[in-house]
Amino acid sequence: MRLDASLALAFERRDVDGVTVLRDVAQTPPLRVIRAFPAEDRSALVHMHNVSGGVLGGDKLALAVRLGAGANVQLTTTGATRLYRSREDALTAVQTNSIIIEEGGLLEYVPDPLIPFAGARFRQETRIQLVPDAGLFWWEILAPGREAYGECFAYEEIGLKTEIRADGKLIAHENVVLEPNKIRMDAIARLDVYRYWVTFYICRVGPDTDWLGAEARLRDAAAPWCKLGEMLWSVSTLPAHGLAIRGLARSGRDILPALQALWSEAKLLLFGRVPILPRKLQ
Amino acid sequence: MPQATDRRSNLATDGLAELQLLQLADSALPIGSLAHSFGLESLESAELLNPAKLPDFFDVYLFEAGLVEAVFCRVAWRLGAPTTFSPAPWLDLNEKLSARKPSRESRAASAALGQHFILAVKGLGEFSAVAAACQASQSTRSMIHHSTAFGLAGGALSFAEDRVIEAFLHQSIAGLVSACQRLMPFGQCEATRLLWALKPRMVQVAKQSALRTIDDVASFTPLLDWGTMEHPALATRLFIS
Repeated sequence: MRLDASLALAFERRDVDGVTVLRDVAQTPPLRVIRAFPAEDRSALVHMHNVSGGVLGGDKLALAVRLGAGANVQLTTTGATRLYRSREDALTAVQTNSIIIEEGGLLEYVPDPLIPFAGARFRQETRIQLVPDAGLFWWEILAPGREAYGECFAYEEIGLKTEIRADGKLIAHENVVLEPNKIRMDAIARLDVYRYWVTFYICRVGPDTDWLGAEARLRDAAAPWCKLGEMLWSVSTLPAHGLAIRGLARSGRDILPALQALWSEAKLLLFGRVPILPRKLQ
Repeated sequence: MPQATDRRSNLATDGLAELQLLQLADSALPIGSLAHSFGLESLESAELLNPAKLPDFFDVYLFEAGLVEAVFCRVAWRLGAPTTFSPAPWLDLNEKLSARKPSRESRAASAALGQHFILAVKGLGEFSAVAAACQASQSTRSMIHHSTAFGLAGGALSFAEDRVIEAFLHQSIAGLVSACQRLMPFGQCEATRLLWALKPRMVQVAKQSALRTIDDVASFTPLLDWGTMEHPALATRLFIS
């Protein structure tokens, strides 16, 4: 049975005290948010749940997030997103993410990894719109599969498409379709010996950021985490308003600590404060 | 100066057109191409790439990054028709290709080569689409990428569509193979053999590019992306990118 589910979240900054609150929630199971937790810096911490335990073949999921002016939100998951095996007759599972961040808003989207099971078919399409002075931290971690079960690149198809617009300008477009049955994942131009792939976007829309300086700072911050054959990180400026970071790792063990280090460095540099780490990273 | 004419219907047998395309696809163009490795220098420096790995590397490269560039080249060819050029889709096309390139240096390299290429073609005759594209990009300070410049010029000069895509792929791969000759013990004879062996793949990728759009064409080259993005961190560099 195809599940058609959606989660729409609208946040606003309360004028009276500057606290970000979850103003509207529209949710259809299995996607669910219990509440927004107020953080000490007046931002909102939100955990997304998928009460069915993961994404099943044929699921059609939609996430829509809107941050009003000045709203600050950290959005994370309660655990890895499991992408289950698709039945042969099931449609490819699809998730669409639509994100709008208004002036002065900051979204930190810091989920756990996507873990595609053997035989999984999943496509995700993300569209992010940032207006002037909006900010973004957005990462995705793709695992090779259930390694403990000996599954590595045993999924059928994973598609990840991400598009970021800043002040109307397209600044990032990534479109990855992985079909390990059809391509060699360990080709030198692809993953070589690595198995995990990480993509991380950091944006702040405005004319005043020294992005070359930020690139250099983040590259320095990434250096201690880089070891050939184990984990590699790279940093580069986008055409405007941001940075792209890419990670490759042989195991998933050190990915989140490395991301935390880069996130902390970038937030301090660009927004003058450190992130409030989810408990799993503390 | 010669006037552009619409010869699209009979170009396959047009000897002059074939010679002109041969010149535009020569390794001497775009001016400056010898200064760029597009991340290969980083891969070689990290001992991830060596002569034995080159055939497989370029085969996959063509299937991934080559296909994306071929699709953009093809769309640019269609924009380059002498009578139908419009600045907005041209600027949009180049913006979309910039957004596809996460590496600052490779993006700038592609734009430098595109700029040099389009200016070289502009100097060869009065090609309305080429002149209008240059004007539009200069006035908006927008990038012109190598693949889009090549495609647009091919369309403006009324070269056959598929030949233009194949010629572009050949030129860009020849540039990368040339970079490898300077980066590693890879001689002229081996380079010639490699480029020869890759030609069927180029034709195949050019054909596949006709079945894709700029919105649905996908690519996955994370280790190459690492090489392009980390190139600024190399202590000693032969290449700009």
